[in-house]
Amino acid sequence: MRLKQLYDWLPDALCDVLDRLPGPVTEQLEEIRIRQDRPLEIVYGTESSFVTPAGAVTADPGPAWRPDRGLCRALLERITRHSLYAVEEELRSGYITVSGGHRIGLAGRAVLENGTVRRLRDITGFNVRIARERIGCSAPVMPAIVDPAAKTIRHTLIVSPPQQGKTTLLRDVARAVSAGDWRHPAAAGWRGRKVGIVDERSEIAACENGVPTFDLGPRCDVLDACPKAEGMMMLIRSMSPEVIAVDEIGRPEDAAALREALHAGVRVVATAHASGIDDVLSRPVLRELAGEGLFRVYVILSRTGGRVAHRVVTAEEVLAGRFGRQAVRSGAAPRDAPPGWAMRPFAGPQAGVPGH
Amino acid sequence: MVKLAGALLIMAAGTLIGFAQAARYAARPRQIRELIHALKRLETEISYGQTPLPEALARVGAALADPLRHIFLRAAARLAERRETTAEACWTGAVEAVWPDTAMRAGEKEALLRLGASLGCSDRPDQLKHVRLAMVHLEAEEAAAREEQRKYERMCRSLGVLGAALVVILMV
Repeated sequence: MRLKQLYDWLPDALCDVLDRLPGPVTEQLEEIRIRQDRPLEIVYGTESSFVTPAGAVTADPGPAWRPDRGLCRALLERITRHSLYAVEEELRSGYITVSGGHRIGLAGRAVLENGTVRRLRDITGFNVRIARERIGCSAPVMPAIVDPAAKTIRHTLIVSPPQQGKTTLLRDVARAVSAGDWRHPAAAGWRGRKVGIVDERSEIAACENGVPTFDLGPRCDVLDACPKAEGMMMLIRSMSPEVIAVDEIGRPEDAAALREALHAGVRVVATAHASGIDDVLSRPVLRELAGEGLFRVYVILSRTGGRVAHRVVTAEEVLAGRFGRQAVRSGAAPRDAPPGWAMRPFAGPQAGVPGH
Repeated sequence: MVKLAGALLIMAAGTLIGFAQAARYAARPRQIRELIHALKRLETEISYGQTPLPEALARVGAALADPLRHIFLRAAARLAERRETTAEACWTGAVEAVWPDTAMRAGEKEALLRLGASLGCSDRPDQLKHVRLAMVHLEAEEAAAREEQRKYERMCRSLGVLGAALVVILMV
């Protein structure tokens, strides 16, 4: 159904090729990568393949179908609704979200103004990421993040490298909280909580004309396309949320807004790009938040063979340095990261933090 | 008696032909002016509203009179259908289809088609530049059209009446 919606945005020639894909591949389709004059690539399950004009998947780029300049231009025109001038902000961020919550990443030539990217031109690379709804995927995680004393959830950070299902899990946690689907033995009879979502990239709720198209339960308010930090403050001021959900935090202003939420007695569930706790602690903003003990629970996602595994680490374990080493280390850890982060003189968990 | 009736018919026909021709001369600058106003509205939609092109064209078209409104509404409908590949193709198709119903000539058409080639496929400042360029082009055509109207509108009317009178005199 969501795939059908996506097809409305793609040129007919591309849809024809995708229509010929084998059924099991279509079902697992995650990314469609379109690069001008280069082979069409798809990512499904844990594999990636090229696609021939007849719709067969192959590891050999030779016989693959190659989208031409006309197709790329038509694709860009369609996803921008023939109005590049109306999506300048999106072009600066490098992606466009179309109805159904599918995010289309763009690559081209950056146009600079005073040293910052003003927009992209000569766009010839597209990465269509297909949004999937997995209702109930938060069930195994919920018992670990529920806070029985406060009858809500703990401050939670969902951590994983890209494409492991962070946003999907975040969406389902938001749905579970707002629907009162706690999955915890102590939670029988608890009601759902009011959830505020700041959906900067329109991926969590995939709003159309302001109404979410994903199931987010009955108690969700969505600030669509709003910058995270500002959005969190707006929600706290105006919508009295009990839980705030945000995607991909990591900027200094996000940290300030998260602290504000914390002191306003609002629980936060957020996601961040990182392959494990080590990576979280090597990113300046996240390290600071972890050091303050802001997040009480960390959920680390990893995917093997189409199955998503999760590991829950508590703040106490992180602060005590007993989170264990991750099997996969990211190469992104900066060399100048302090070797023994736990040695840093943290101020310690702040007094008055709810959920202590 | 029959002769008189024939003469009257010829007089009426000649006068009508003259008036119709004169009306075309009068309609052209009026339509160009209307087109310029429409482009001004489009400029506002693009610069302040940042309205996507299909909606912007539909809004501009809705405020216009026949036959010009059909150019905008038709282009908007074709864009919304998502069948055609580019905005340029939709715009060109709409202009070509509606053009015979208008009183305008090749110069104005060229200005519109050139605008169509850049519609939607650049950032705001660039779009505004193209719209303004088309308006300047149209203003020049408008001045020429007014000059023609001044010269030929009356002449066409009198020519129709006088031509018909000449035929009647020759017949008698």
